[in-house]
Amino acid sequence: MKSIIIGQYVPGKGIFYKLDPRTKIIAVLLLMISIFLLESITQLLIALVVAIILLIVGRISVIKVIKGLKPIMILLIFTFVFQIMLNKEGDPLHSTQMHLTVFTVLSLIGAFVIWRVIAKFIKYRFTLFFLFVTAVYFILVHVDGGYPLVNPFLFEIYEKGVEMSVFVVIRLIVIITLSTVLTLTTKPTDLTQGLEKLLHPLKKIGFNSDDFALIISISLRYIPTIFDEANKIMLAQASRGADFSEGKLKDKLRQIISLLVPMFIIAFMRSEELANAMESRNFVPGKKRTRINELVLSYRDVLASVFSIFVLAGSIVLKVL
Amino acid sequence: MGIRFKEVSYDYPSFVENPYSAIRNISLEINAKDEFIALVGHTGSGKSTLAKHMNALIFPTAGSLDIFGRTITAKRNKKIKYNDIRKKVGLVFQFPEYQLFEETIEKDVMFGPLNFKISQEEAKLLARDSLKLVGLDESYLRRNPYNLSGGEKKRVSIAGILAMDPEILVLDEPTSGLDPAGKRVLMDLFKGINEKTNKSIIIITHDMDLVYEYFDRVIVMNEGKLVFDGNPVSLFKDVDLSEHHLDYPNSIKVLKHLNEELNLDLDIYQKSGQEAYAEIIRWMQR
Repeated sequence: MKSIIIGQYVPGKGIFYKLDPRTKIIAVLLLMISIFLLESITQLLIALVVAIILLIVGRISVIKVIKGLKPIMILLIFTFVFQIMLNKEGDPLHSTQMHLTVFTVLSLIGAFVIWRVIAKFIKYRFTLFFLFVTAVYFILVHVDGGYPLVNPFLFEIYEKGVEMSVFVVIRLIVIITLSTVLTLTTKPTDLTQGLEKLLHPLKKIGFNSDDFALIISISLRYIPTIFDEANKIMLAQASRGADFSEGKLKDKLRQIISLLVPMFIIAFMRSEELANAMESRNFVPGKKRTRINELVLSYRDVLASVFSIFVLAGSIVLKVL
Repeated sequence: MGIRFKEVSYDYPSFVENPYSAIRNISLEINAKDEFIALVGHTGSGKSTLAKHMNALIFPTAGSLDIFGRTITAKRNKKIKYNDIRKKVGLVFQFPEYQLFEETIEKDVMFGPLNFKISQEEAKLLARDSLKLVGLDESYLRRNPYNLSGGEKKRVSIAGILAMDPEILVLDEPTSGLDPAGKRVLMDLFKGINEKTNKSIIIITHDMDLVYEYFDRVIVMNEGKLVFDGNPVSLFKDVDLSEHHLDYPNSIKVLKHLNEELNLDLDIYQKSGQEAYAEIIRWMQR
């Protein structure tokens, strides 16, 4: 839980904390668009370096962000593998014959079981996973006795495939780093306030940004509360013998219902209380409200906007040339 | 032996700061029969955390506890069926809303027994009996638990635990939010259950009047530590309660005030309003 950094606000100091949320949202948006305009790996690598420099300038620990990337590691690996396997353009770089026979299937199952058993005792999950994948590769290449289930097939890697997979993975990393900077340095309340202001012009076409922002901030505010309530309900039902780890499917279903019903009722009770509390503090839906901290733009915001506009312009120029 | 705490500590994990230690080094013994214990302490003193340990809902971070012969430590032991412990020690939570979920009261009270593999017919009988025990007659069986008053909901949630026929009953602030008369009715009920069935009952409460009047053993918690375990009479006589952020019972406060203001020599240690009144009458006739 501790290492999940994506989408989480971590209090701190640095230039990004002082920026106006509106500037940050727009700048990140512009930077992302420019990243999508880039076309070669070299350009992307430069973008990655720029992103890392931004982290250093903002005094955000690079190691922390890398650790935060861990949960999406699986996504990165999948994109990488699929790009390599499915992209068949350019010159072939590597090609091996693979077999799928009864013995292969048996060895695969054996390798899987060994992997899962070891994984229970050892902590290095990623290393183990890679070992498992290598084992699968070797089994597919070398174990060829017994009755063949499908004809031997070729496993090929093409030049373009490698290029594209590296390209896509770097692009993903850069984009995630950028959005992490935004969420890491902006309080959820500031973020919604920024969104509210940015979407304000949409009022002319009937989209009420105040209500939208209010809905978002209330939901964000109540996530931990509801989580807490769920925990209490779980303990209360566990006291009555609802064991969520054991039992048959039919019993489990009943036990889940015993959680959901109080959950809903408490959520409704909470919302009614909240509505009363807001009304008694004179909240009128749709009326204009003032804030304690009004957003003010400073020279930093101008700098950040100019920087991101330059980046966008640069990438458009690169694209056109 | 029912429950024995051996130097139990529990820390709530915290991502930002140091872990918050809710209880520290608690050693305590609770018999399986005939105990009637009040657990008091100001808000945040660790009472509820202590109670959650008693039926293994949470595990100690340090130390161990014995619950009916099963040893609970920080590590989850796969050989122990924690559900069995929850059948032996019933814990009633403060807010009935956290556990009521069925469409009829009867079904809701049957939920506990059915979880412990008791047959449908038997569970029905148990539900009827335990509802009767908490003072709700058969007309309640078919009613919706959410259409009851606060006090009635509380009774249904207590019946839901009683139906499991636990050997020790732990109640987290069962009297909070009730009017004085309702409190007394509930307390009489618990005392009755305690006397009729010999089950040990542990009640968390803030109400010192009730503690003085009803209980013969009181456990006081302050800032995660157990600071007193013994008779309420000696608690009010010998311990400075203000140190533990607690208050004296009203009977003692009133008589003490009379003594001080009017220079009387009343015996201030009277367990209830009536007794205090009787003491005043006695003094006047002297």
